[in-house]
Amino acid sequence: MPQKSKIAIFWLDNLIWVIVALFFLVNVFITPYFFSVNNIINIFYHSAIMSMLVLAEGIILILGKMDLSLEGILVFAPGVTMIMATKLIPGGLNPGLCIVLTLVMGGLLGLFNGYCVTRVGINPFLQTLSLNIMLRGFILFLLPFSIHPLSEIYTFAGKARLFDGLFPVAIPLVILIFAVFQFMMKYTTFGRKFMATGGNPRASFISGINTDRIIIMGFIISGVLAAFAGLLAAGKQDSISNAMGQNLLMVAFAGAILGGTSLDGGKGTIIGMFGGAILLAMITNSLNLLGVNVSLVYATEGALIFLAILLDRVKVRVKNNILQQNKMKEVLEHKKNMAVLPGE
Amino acid sequence: MENNILQLKNISKVYPGTIALENVNLSVRKGEVHGIIGKNGAGKSTLVSIIAGVISPTGGDIIIGNKTFKTLSRNNARDQLISIVTQEPQVIKECTIAENLFMPDYASSGFFINWDRIKSQAQSIISQAGLHMDAGMNAGDLSISEQQLLLVIKACYVEKSQIIILDEVSASLTQDDENLLYEIIQKRKSEGCTILYISHRTDELLNVCDRVTVIRDGNAVTTKDCATLSKVELSHLIVGDGYTSASETAGLPEAGEKTEEVILRVNNLTKYGQYEDISFCLKKGEILGFAGLRGSGRTEIFKGIVGIDPADDGSITINNETKKLTSPVEAFQSRILYLPEDRDKEGLINCLSVRENLTLNILPRISRNTIIKPAKEKDYVTRFIELLNIKTASPEQTVDELSGGNKQKVVVGKIMAAEPLVCILDEPTRGVDIAAKEGILSIIKTTMRKSSSVIITSPGIEDLIEVCDRILVLYQGRIVAEFAAEEFDEKVIYHAQQEERKVANAAEIQNRDFLA
Repeated sequence: MPQKSKIAIFWLDNLIWVIVALFFLVNVFITPYFFSVNNIINIFYHSAIMSMLVLAEGIILILGKMDLSLEGILVFAPGVTMIMATKLIPGGLNPGLCIVLTLVMGGLLGLFNGYCVTRVGINPFLQTLSLNIMLRGFILFLLPFSIHPLSEIYTFAGKARLFDGLFPVAIPLVILIFAVFQFMMKYTTFGRKFMATGGNPRASFISGINTDRIIIMGFIISGVLAAFAGLLAAGKQDSISNAMGQNLLMVAFAGAILGGTSLDGGKGTIIGMFGGAILLAMITNSLNLLGVNVSLVYATEGALIFLAILLDRVKVRVKNNILQQNKMKEVLEHKKNMAVLPGE
Repeated sequence: MENNILQLKNISKVYPGTIALENVNLSVRKGEVHGIIGKNGAGKSTLVSIIAGVISPTGGDIIIGNKTFKTLSRNNARDQLISIVTQEPQVIKECTIAENLFMPDYASSGFFINWDRIKSQAQSIISQAGLHMDAGMNAGDLSISEQQLLLVIKACYVEKSQIIILDEVSASLTQDDENLLYEIIQKRKSEGCTILYISHRTDELLNVCDRVTVIRDGNAVTTKDCATLSKVELSHLIVGDGYTSASETAGLPEAGEKTEEVILRVNNLTKYGQYEDISFCLKKGEILGFAGLRGSGRTEIFKGIVGIDPADDGSITINNETKKLTSPVEAFQSRILYLPEDRDKEGLINCLSVRENLTLNILPRISRNTIIKPAKEKDYVTRFIELLNIKTASPEQTVDELSGGNKQKVVVGKIMAAEPLVCILDEPTRGVDIAAKEGILSIIKTTMRKSSSVIITSPGIEDLIEVCDRILVLYQGRIVAEFAAEEFDEKVIYHAQQEERKVANAAEIQNRDFLA
């Protein structure tokens, strides 16, 4: 393939970082207070919850499935855990145990999704949609009022700050998680099987990969990540309310797709998802700083989802175009050679 | 020449890496039944798809009546009254027979569809054709054979086409329905229609057609009158003279590699409706070929052995251990690997790199504690790229960007890397160019058999003759013949593939001979 097409494809694959850089530069000039250490830390801090959801959604999209229940898991897992700790169990629970319980609950809900999708054969869209509505309904019933003071340990991930209250721990935590996932996808046998299953489930199955197990694992991981996002959210507001995580799900989709994950499965990188989450946070941040009405900010997020999907299509088309043209050149050359041969 | 209704001039079709058709010339007279015959992969289906406007040719002219086309779209072809019935029946299962018949041109009064009229018309057409179906039934409730007939009727009676293409239609028909098909063809012919009849069964073709064109390796070899042609002559034309006797090549496999130790024994494997009572054994280091026409059950049997579509009955014995594999995961653990015939859908992860595809089956071997060692991985990958001579810009190139032959080599490499006990290769040379084909076959013959026993099928019998120690012949889901290396003869095996059919139609053939 010519060098030129190679470069074009490289930029298309890493489009998200181009957009992040451009958007950052524009905002440095047009948005007041945007380019300050405090604000940049702020952007990262606010992106923490969203980025966990983007990651959770992204790995499910890599598998070629989708998960609409992340929002429900985000509120249900910490909510039910804290109800147990504060109301059901006399004497309460150790806060460390609460954290574990929250994550386990997320994993179990993911397992339920994964089991129904693979073994029972329910369409993932319908399966996770129904679970989401169920969870939201349960939590509205169980948790009419917020649970207010939470233990310091339980809120550590979401609230604690290092360096005299300057730097939230959530930021290095999230970056660490992304790094672990990046390593896992690239350098472990599980990651390889994961990408293969997403790329072509039928071929992976025939190659002897237990694809059902991989998909179930994917849903479990995604559930744990959503529960962790819930932990961050609870920490950030120092309470658990039934409104946590509302309207985040679709934006998480947008982040994953902006980050280069394809709805067809098999394509997507962990770093790209991180970029997608950062871009989302940056846009919200700059709109807030510019004093745009809250409802309009929400509408902008909607427009972003549309843009993300459009971008995905355009990207695929442009890329296929480049590849097709290269292939055509090859064939024509081949034909020319064939035409020369018999004459000689 | 003036009564030629359809002419093809220098039609070519080039795919990346392969040439499906090369300067094919064909002229079809008005009102004849014109047969097209050739081996699997000779280019028959490509040719008729071009005529029907399903795919467009890379070069050449299509002349219909007195109009010349460079390329046809499906709608163009419809306007020229060309219909095609494909090999696999394509009915819309949720719709009624009547709807299927009239789609997309419903009888309507103004904007509204007149359902009563459609149904009564459909019913009369069906009975006119001599069938017994209720036009209000869902098409999905018909058997495959009936679905196929329905489409034939649609092409013949509803679309009122001048040129009707029947692409290996009889492959999915039962014996009774087949006779009905012949009746319909005769009727349409007497009404002045032209029919292109594709098949790879010689006796059938000689029965049905007036003239026949033989396609071999993408070239139209010759066109002959059926009345003056015998079955044996036709077989010779199809196979060609390149491989008259295979004795020279058959001796080639080094006898030392093969031992008497039985690695795999298949006992009475049965899946009702697909294959029955399949029993054979595979010795260590042996290459065993399966010959059979499409639909003879080759792929189904393989998928039954490795547990992709587990068999209903029977078992397999691997190294004296009797098992029943119910999923490819178990087959993988028993070290039996399957190379699927459809490499894009079942063989490759197209969006991953050559490296990731090649090492998919050997992940435990290139990793420690589930963490992959890049250096070890690189070793394996470079070794297999060299061994198989895979032409790729780098190991990181996505498989999608390779040519067909190189893609196929990646699949072969993926399976070889795992050094399985038994390799089951379903058409490893399908859709690849000559050079790649030779490369793959020689790798199987030399390197692969050192570590594994091999079961193989191929679109062409000559490939099997080249590599195999033994060939089993399948017909309609049963093993009907067995040939040892010294008995290999392409024509004999080609006949054997159609053996039972010959017996069934013996009476008709005699009748023909008598008339001739």
